[in-house]
Amino acid sequence: MPSRDSILSDLETIDDPEMPISIVDLGLIERVEILPHPPNGETGRADVEIDILPTFVGCPALDMIRDLVREKLTARGEINEVKVNFLFDPPWSVDRITEAGRARLKEHGVTVPEHGSRLPVHGAPKLTTQLRTSAVPCPFCESRSTYLDSPFGPTRCRMIYYCEACRNSFEHMKRL
Amino acid sequence: MPIAEHLKPSLIELLLAAADDKLMLGHRNSDWTGLGPILEEDIAFSSLAQDEIAHAQTLYEFLGPIAEKDENELAFGRTAEEYRCATIVEPHDEFDWAAAITRQFFCDHFDRLRFRRLAQSNLKPLADLAKRIGAEEQVHVDHADSWMRRLGRGTTEAKQRVQKALDQLAPLAVTLFEPVDGEPALEKDGLYPALEQPMIELWRHEVDGVLKDADLSAAFTDFDPSRKGGRRGIHGAAFGELLEEMSEVYRIEPGAKW
Repeated sequence: MPSRDSILSDLETIDDPEMPISIVDLGLIERVEILPHPPNGETGRADVEIDILPTFVGCPALDMIRDLVREKLTARGEINEVKVNFLFDPPWSVDRITEAGRARLKEHGVTVPEHGSRLPVHGAPKLTTQLRTSAVPCPFCESRSTYLDSPFGPTRCRMIYYCEACRNSFEHMKRL
Repeated sequence: MPIAEHLKPSLIELLLAAADDKLMLGHRNSDWTGLGPILEEDIAFSSLAQDEIAHAQTLYEFLGPIAEKDENELAFGRTAEEYRCATIVEPHDEFDWAAAITRQFFCDHFDRLRFRRLAQSNLKPLADLAKRIGAEEQVHVDHADSWMRRLGRGTTEAKQRVQKALDQLAPLAVTLFEPVDGEPALEKDGLYPALEQPMIELWRHEVDGVLKDADLSAAFTDFDPSRKGGRRGIHGAAFGELLEEMSEVYRIEPGAKW
């Protein structure tokens, strides 16, 4: 019978199609349920049901993620069917990204809002899109002399910041 | 919770209105990819297009089992009079960016309210989805508001151009508020509960607040309930062209898997 841990280890090998971290580190996996099939468990085989929380509504990577998950898990031999559900409750949030995931994103020039932080977006001063804030340190030089250059970025879940100290652009995950 | 049979047709109308507004707006926004006035707005309008179309797609998927139709058929396979989008999302902005951002400003404020309302629905999967869409709308609203302020307080030319767009689009903005058939029943039964004040009042309060701050103005009227418009399938000439262009690929082979 497949164990929950072994399924999670398999899922950890699947990178998000738009992000250089695994779907587990991105915090997408909400629930893994193992249903012995046949139900008496004598064959050691099971069906698996997985609840995934989309980062953004209708994210174009969802179909690909579902296919990658199915492909990976059914390749093990002991799993028959894989059912993937996409749910909005609880809502995905940047706070679900693991420490390992944060470290890896930072290596790629993508920062993640600190746990529990509110900035940016909600409650931010709204005079211009060039919001100056000390809340987002540069992933390259750690300077806090950074500003929001664009609330939209290369994917729907990221924004573009600019560091005045090292003059690099970097990306920051959106907190909704 | 199963949806009461007698409420289904109205719920379909309501969600089609939301999805159709977003599909058309997203399609119009996508015209700006590569043509935005500055790089950041090129990215912004491309992202707005992605957001709006993704929201529309998810709403069509949600509607699928209720309307007993596949999401692609809902998006592209209907006749013009079966669409429920408001008139404001129909005309082309003629690549006047002031018009594009003004249209977005009106629609974003409306959508934030619409999804706040749907987020209180007693249909839980719909409420969950609406909460997420509403959170994404906040980014849109902040973006549009900041541009209204920048343009209104900017150069004389910027102010004139955005004021002209406001004058042209304000009369169309009220078309967003045309109710769909059966809306009072959806409100009464808790599928689409009322907010603390009528939506148009809340919307005007928000929109006028930003415009005042930006030293701009707009003259709004109430939606004339005797007039039938987009929410009842009556569309302008621009809509036919838009629909034809948008559904061209779908119509080559309806039902094809891409």
